[in-house]
Amino acid sequence: MDKLTKGPETSRRRFIDILLGTGLFMWISSLIYPISKYLVPPKAAILYVNNVEAGTMSEFPPSSSKIIRFGRKPVIIVRQRNGKFSALSATCTHLDCTVQFKADTEQIWCACHNGYYDITGKNISGPPPSPLAQYIVVVKDDKVIVALEELT
Amino acid sequence: MSIMDWINERVNIRGVSEFAFKKKVPVFYGTIWYYLGGVSLFLFAIQLVTGILLLLYYQPGAATAFESVKFIVSKVAFGWLIREVHAWSANLFIFFAFLHMFTVFFAKAYRKPREMTWFSGMLLLILGMGFGFSGYLLPWNELAFFATKIGSDIAGAVPFVGEFLLRLLRAGDEVTGATLTRFYGFHIALFPAFFTLVLGIHLILVQVQGMSIPPELERIPEKHRRYMPFFPNFAIRDALFWLIVLNIIALLAVFFPWELGTKADPLASAPAGIHPEWYFMFMFQTLKLIPGHIFFIEGELFGLLIFAFGTIFWFLVPLLDRKARRGQRSRFWTVIGVVLIVYMIMMTLWGYIV
Amino acid sequence: MKFSNVSLLILIIVAVASSNTPLTKDACIDCHRQLDEEQDVGEQILKNVFQDIHLQVGLSCADCHGGNPEAYDDEDEAMWDNPTFIGAISRRDQPEICGSCHSDPQFMRQYSASVQTDQVDQYWTSQHGKDLLNGNDKVATCTNCHGVHGIYPVKDPRSPVYPLNVPSTCAQCHNDAEYMSEFNIPTDQYYLYRTSVHGKALLDRQSLTAPACNDCHGNHGALPPDVVHIADICGTCHVNNSQLFQKSHLNNIFLKKGFGQCEACHGNHGVKKPSDEYLNWEHGAVCLQCHGNTTGNPKELADLFYHTIDSLKGQISLAEDLMGQAEQKGMEISDLYFPLEKSQKVLIQTRTSIHSFNKDLLLETVKDGFIATDEAIQGASLALTEFDQRRKWLFIFSLIITYLIVVVYFKIKDFDRRHRNKNK
Repeated sequence: MDKLTKGPETSRRRFIDILLGTGLFMWISSLIYPISKYLVPPKAAILYVNNVEAGTMSEFPPSSSKIIRFGRKPVIIVRQRNGKFSALSATCTHLDCTVQFKADTEQIWCACHNGYYDITGKNISGPPPSPLAQYIVVVKDDKVIVALEELT
Repeated sequence: MSIMDWINERVNIRGVSEFAFKKKVPVFYGTIWYYLGGVSLFLFAIQLVTGILLLLYYQPGAATAFESVKFIVSKVAFGWLIREVHAWSANLFIFFAFLHMFTVFFAKAYRKPREMTWFSGMLLLILGMGFGFSGYLLPWNELAFFATKIGSDIAGAVPFVGEFLLRLLRAGDEVTGATLTRFYGFHIALFPAFFTLVLGIHLILVQVQGMSIPPELERIPEKHRRYMPFFPNFAIRDALFWLIVLNIIALLAVFFPWELGTKADPLASAPAGIHPEWYFMFMFQTLKLIPGHIFFIEGELFGLLIFAFGTIFWFLVPLLDRKARRGQRSRFWTVIGVVLIVYMIMMTLWGYIV
Repeated sequence: MKFSNVSLLILIIVAVASSNTPLTKDACIDCHRQLDEEQDVGEQILKNVFQDIHLQVGLSCADCHGGNPEAYDDEDEAMWDNPTFIGAISRRDQPEICGSCHSDPQFMRQYSASVQTDQVDQYWTSQHGKDLLNGNDKVATCTNCHGVHGIYPVKDPRSPVYPLNVPSTCAQCHNDAEYMSEFNIPTDQYYLYRTSVHGKALLDRQSLTAPACNDCHGNHGALPPDVVHIADICGTCHVNNSQLFQKSHLNNIFLKKGFGQCEACHGNHGVKKPSDEYLNWEHGAVCLQCHGNTTGNPKELADLFYHTIDSLKGQISLAEDLMGQAEQKGMEISDLYFPLEKSQKVLIQTRTSIHSFNKDLLLETVKDGFIATDEAIQGASLALTEFDQRRKWLFIFSLIITYLIVVVYFKIKDFDRRHRNKNK
């Protein structure tokens, strides 16, 4: 009854409903789009900085070293002549240069101001004021893993 | 309609919906304040959705929490949006919930028969702050770590049970990964369960008792009062306000993102300017200002006792305000409310400026 | 006598006041401290004597000056008639008297197993020692550097030869133009050193690892380093720079012409933090000192060095700038600090590689720096693009919401009209 008698009112109402419907549709799409995108996991994996894979055993012959990225910091992994691993912060404690491994004396050396550390990271000569931080090396299934704490 | 009929034959939902449609909202100069509860509900819904979405990638634990949040904001498509919306909407929730509480307070809407609505609402606000406190730690960044340390330290000052409370909160003597796990549990299981329960009671009470009107309006005869139906007239206004708030959140998320900062390092010394979230600031600042000893009581403890009694006092307002029960405005309680608001604002500003 | 009474009193005072010192009964000290105090002018020479390392380990005045420290009441027995009495030690005799213990490994070992005993031998090879032998008393002897009647161990910060104190100790003489006039050497070393990169590191930053005078000149055997050894001396710390230079073709030319290797470009006492402008041919490159009139190879090489380093610096500052912008907009880019820091390290290595004067080495070294800066620049640009996309997303989202708000507003009007109609 009401609808039949008030023609213009009804069409006006229908027009608003159509506008509202499209608006709601767009709005819901603008919500669903980011959410559905969010649900798809990205290809990149999470970078954990409590342990990092440094490579396989074959990349570490005795008397060799490699500098890897551990979070934001470089870490030097050394394999000594006797086959033992050690991993130390690769940032010299003097003026932040990157240190290197001297295979002949089995020491860690910073070229910038001739600073020496022993294989445990202790500063033994030159300007470095403090030792290099130590990391833990774990060999698991042929993989060399550097960790902040002992992996169990 | 046939589905409705089919259901209606089995349970009387039409009765429920008819009941809902009967609810009406008084129209007067204060109608605008009736939107605050609704918008808090809306923000809670946003928290629920974005919180569940964050759970898909978040990994609790001292070793993974920070990295996974960093992963969400930098690698996952629209991850930044979900996190920022969650963080901003949390803050707005607390803001609107506080506003809601104060308008209810000044409108004397807590008076008989709505005491239980006030109690449940207060519980919701306290739970909301619990959500904030526990959620703040979850990204496991430096700022959160130290804020949690200080916050839980304060709990340790409580007499007799302080030690127990501290260990209960921290899951040990120090803030560690165990604390994070615990806070995670509080934030995603314990608090939501409680919150949903109390929220349900709160909403049912509002629905059953209808909207409260201030005492002055109550004296006007019923036929001279103006109303609008809750459905759809008021509800669509609610929706309009929600849309505006949602857009504001999106704006804040893009232009004022919450920084992740650096990962928490338990061995590092506390950075300068450590402070809790803004809604704890007035308490934090008060505790800072209280001298070391007051009447043989430790200053921190004194502050805590004041806050504890203050909260209980505030909680019990519906029982204490006898005038309101008789439908009269009590100037005493209005003054207390104004003083409290001024105090909170001043202390918060002081905390941020000094 | 009055003398002995007072000395007894002083003995008691000294014994009470310095009961922690190992030596409280010594006639020399008792008397001479009193003389010190009675004397109105001049320095109290025994002021710090109880802190003296020699007294601390149980030696007495007599061990250097002779005489009998137990002869309390008898000045003659204590000094004048005592055959062992030496009295004031002449500057010429100082090295031998100190050396009577310090050059005796057997004796010194009782104090420290690792103690050096070659100081006096070295001293005679130094310019100071040589001049002293030639009868010049104005040169430095043991006490000029180590102090006297209050000699501290070298590692004691109060010692004049503690690293932080060395420059001012040497400067006592070497900064005094009048005193040094007969030696015909400059006296501006301290002034130059004070403003040099080493002087600032040692004296302003108090970095004990920075070189003081003796780290380059030696101490007991102090000599001006000769041209051939400069690179070795600088090379104690600046290893790579030194080695690269000594392997370069310039090394032999420098030696032949008598140019001090490192010194020729960097200077000596006043060595400043090197600047990349040292290579700027248009604006006073250090190369121009010799190559002033030449172009061709030297200029090309310097230009290549200069521009390579300049462009790496440019890339680094571009990366920093973009990262700063991205961070300011709240983008999470902390991962980019690794390549950024790496490129900064490569920049240092590249600057070092210049000392080879070998363009291949430089280009090889700098390569990693450009790769690292590219990573940082790309990452930061990506973050900035991402931020722009966020703004676009926000714009579209806001547009939709605004549209919806307008429509909802009309819907509200509609509902209200219906409500009013119903009430009528």
